[in-house]
Amino acid sequence: MSLILGYVATLLVTFFTYNIFVIGLNIQFGYAGILNFTVITFMAFGAYFYAVFVMPHADNSSQIFYILGLHWPWPLAMLAGIVASGALGYLIGLIALKRLRSDYLAIVTLATGTLVYGLFGNNNKLFDGWSGLFNVNQPFQSVATNHPNQFSWIFVVFSGLIMVVVWLFANRLYASPLGRSMRAIREDQDVVDSFGKNSFKFRMMAMVIGSLIVGIGGVLTIQYIGALSPAGWTTGETFVVWAALLVGGRANNLGAILGSLLVAVVFNEATRYIPQVPSHPNLIPNLRNMIIGSLVILSIWFRPQGVFPERKASFLEVPLVDKYAQGFPGDEPDSALSPAASEA
Amino acid sequence: MPKSILEVKGVKLAFGGVHAIDDCSFHIEEGTITALIGPNGAGKSTMVNVISGTYRPDEGHVIFDGKDVTRLPNYVRAQHGLLRTFQISREFANMTVLENLLVVRQGQTGESLFGALFRAKRWHAQTRELVAEANEILNTFGLYRLRNEYAGNLSGGQKRLVELSRAVMAKPRLLLLDEPMAGVTPALIERLGNHIVELNTELGITFVLVEHNLEVVEKICSRVVVMALGKQLADGTLAELRSNQEVIDAYLGGGAHERVGS
Ligand SMILES: Nc1ncnc2c1ncn2[C@@H]1O[C@H](COP(=O)(O)OP(=O)(O)O)[C@@H](O)[C@H]1O
Ligand SMILES: [Mg+2]
Repeated sequence: MSLILGYVATLLVTFFTYNIFVIGLNIQFGYAGILNFTVITFMAFGAYFYAVFVMPHADNSSQIFYILGLHWPWPLAMLAGIVASGALGYLIGLIALKRLRSDYLAIVTLATGTLVYGLFGNNNKLFDGWSGLFNVNQPFQSVATNHPNQFSWIFVVFSGLIMVVVWLFANRLYASPLGRSMRAIREDQDVVDSFGKNSFKFRMMAMVIGSLIVGIGGVLTIQYIGALSPAGWTTGETFVVWAALLVGGRANNLGAILGSLLVAVVFNEATRYIPQVPSHPNLIPNLRNMIIGSLVILSIWFRPQGVFPERKASFLEVPLVDKYAQGFPGDEPDSALSPAASEA
Repeated sequence: MPKSILEVKGVKLAFGGVHAIDDCSFHIEEGTITALIGPNGAGKSTMVNVISGTYRPDEGHVIFDGKDVTRLPNYVRAQHGLLRTFQISREFANMTVLENLLVVRQGQTGESLFGALFRAKRWHAQTRELVAEANEILNTFGLYRLRNEYAGNLSGGQKRLVELSRAVMAKPRLLLLDEPMAGVTPALIERLGNHIVELNTELGITFVLVEHNLEVVEKICSRVVVMALGKQLADGTLAELRSNQEVIDAYLGGGAHERVGS
């Protein structure tokens, strides 16, 4: 029983954190049209910087090396991790958003991801290289050590609350004039500039906000597991987040929820627990990727806007008397162009 | 003497070896509707881009309302009221017509992050007012009924109307229109012309109109600037220009005005 409870709790936490990743990517891509192909690097930044801020100074005699080791209280370390991820977003934005169009930006993000992955992996003075960090201090530490199951459920509530805050934030942003400007940039950046808005500034905001949110998910991940190694954050993980966004529906945070439930939890996480076939150890992970890939293809084919497409904006308004009502027989769009006839 | 709102002084711009604009100067008087005409490749669109700040000239100056704006980025110029439309309609396709208009208004409270998050009441109220204002504009342009339609689903002519109404929503002082009549039906040409005159007389918007259709120019423009090979060739009323041999040779004589669009 307690095993099942723990399993359910883990699935829920996974769902919540992936949902946070997907919302972060949605603000970048769904709102502002920024192609970020290295979501997972921001997650890793959040996680690793949380770790080195919260862990005590590295004990070199144990042959485990990492920078900082400031032993901050976990809420402060959490902030540090989130800020680190946002700062990486800002840096990439400085390099790529000022001059480059979206497709080049995509390449810059891919390159950054590979660079950071290699750097963190190969340099064991930073975050202990490929072996990664273990025994990272968790929130509610004494519960975590003594009552793992109880900890899981506390963490379900904790990450769930954060997810709700992120969700409310993202929806308010979407509806606001700021969100509207971001979406206009997604449609046509030059036009937004030509109307007196600095599109660079808005894109940078979307980039940094998205990175901060992905960073939150990263911190939650390492807080829950207490460990993270670079092997766990390959490009494939970024793909899972993208798949969730595309299948669920971009520019609609309901889509983010559905997508992360479907892709990240049902297909990605649940299949981890299917028993391995001993003669083919890679069968299950490969199968999982194939299923997620097919899901994306099917969804792009049959429902290109995702299960929950972007909602059409509607506004409270006082109806006007339609001056040219006569000019619109309604069904044929082009007839609207000859209301000159009806004016006469 | 009427005040010039825009002065172009000795502008040069080359793309590689192509001298798209080669020492061009002219001025636009405030409150007028001026046509910018010239054969294809004369540099008219490039000039619109230089004036609006999309391109920086290699040499020369653009002066808007007495201020040298040559070095200012396009969005800052737009904030001063210098706006342009594009030769090809560039609506925000996956946003409704109404949203297309709402986006362009400057200085909304909810456009800063702080405002968006913590002053929702204020920007909700602002948005309600802007919606009412946008609906009035859409109504005069005959787009009211389509306000909740995605702009991308509109016909070509309707998109032209969206472009113009969106520009009006942004409250320009000077509006540069790059071939607004290209590829639209005669009925709509008539209608767009009437709108431009109305906006000019009622709101005092100054217009610079790149236009091939000389009938339209004759009807709505009080002054014409002729460009050829990247230079200003002449300016004056169309009647004056009709007797100018250089202009006839370069443009009017060759039946170039018969060409629709480009
Ligand atoms: N971005 C560009 N790159 C290279 N050449 C260009 C570019 N834009 C315009 N030109 C060239 O500059 C000249 C003027 O073009 P344009 O301003 O579009 O003329 P118009 O609008 O009067 O027809 C043409 O010879 C055109 O080929
Ligand atoms: Mg042109």
